[in-house]
Amino acid sequence: MRISTKGRYSLEALLYLAFLPPNEYASLRQIGESTELSDGYLEQLFIPLRGVDIVRGIRGPRGGYFLGKPPAEISVGDILRAAESSLEPVECLTGAPCPRVDSCQRRLAWKELYLAINNLIDGITLEDLVQSCEAMDREYVI
Amino acid sequence: MKISTRGQYGLQLLVDLTEHASESHVTLASVGQRQDISVRYLEQVAVILRRSGFIRSVKGASGGYALARPAEEIMMKDVLQCLEGDLLVAEPLPPGVQENRLRMCLRRMVYDKLDLCIAGVIGKYTLAALAASPNADRDFMYFI
Repeated sequence: MRISTKGRYSLEALLYLAFLPPNEYASLRQIGESTELSDGYLEQLFIPLRGVDIVRGIRGPRGGYFLGKPPAEISVGDILRAAESSLEPVECLTGAPCPRVDSCQRRLAWKELYLAINNLIDGITLEDLVQSCEAMDREYVI
Repeated sequence: MKISTRGQYGLQLLVDLTEHASESHVTLASVGQRQDISVRYLEQVAVILRRSGFIRSVKGASGGYALARPAEEIMMKDVLQCLEGDLLVAEPLPPGVQENRLRMCLRRMVYDKLDLCIAGVIGKYTLAALAASPNADRDFMYFI
């Protein structure tokens, strides 16, 4: 049930951007220093995220990236759905035809799992993660 | 976040054995026909499930497999854990390794919670609950 590396790294890069003060942006190098990801890989990650306006880029030698919306309006679910091709745990939920679809208890269990996963990740925003990160920092200082 | 075909087919095999528990045993050929899975693949999965004590083999010319324990006592979670290795959404952290701040936060706030959520759902179902009820089966026959 692994989240792909693409999904996890997208979360890391966007969480980094969520810490930026409003109206600021970060270069690929800055993002790479905190996430340990290369410029080329980050650019690849940002392609689908730009498509759904989760991230925006500024071109040019002094360019960089920033979030397309406030962190409170971007959920972990939005990010994972953009980064991963699909989040369904099994193919039979994506509409592949099966003659037993109406009586299949297994499919109901998979569906419940899929809904529970979605429910959880749609309820966690980047803003929530920033706050828990900061709470975690305080924990460690003590 | 996918369940492998091994996990899916293994569960399908066990559910089929549950639905045919009234027979003393079931051949993989008949399971393969009903579930539309290749017998060769079922054989591989059956080996793992037998070694892990979920099914027992019945020897002989018309041999086959049967559940080793009552279907009410076999959990969906245990079956998937056996076939998938683990069900964690992120690679577990090796002991002694320290993650950077962003990763640690994501692990605690997202990955660990997802693991609990997944275990919660699949920990509820037994094979008996996943088997089709006799009525549903009749509807299915009627549909054909």
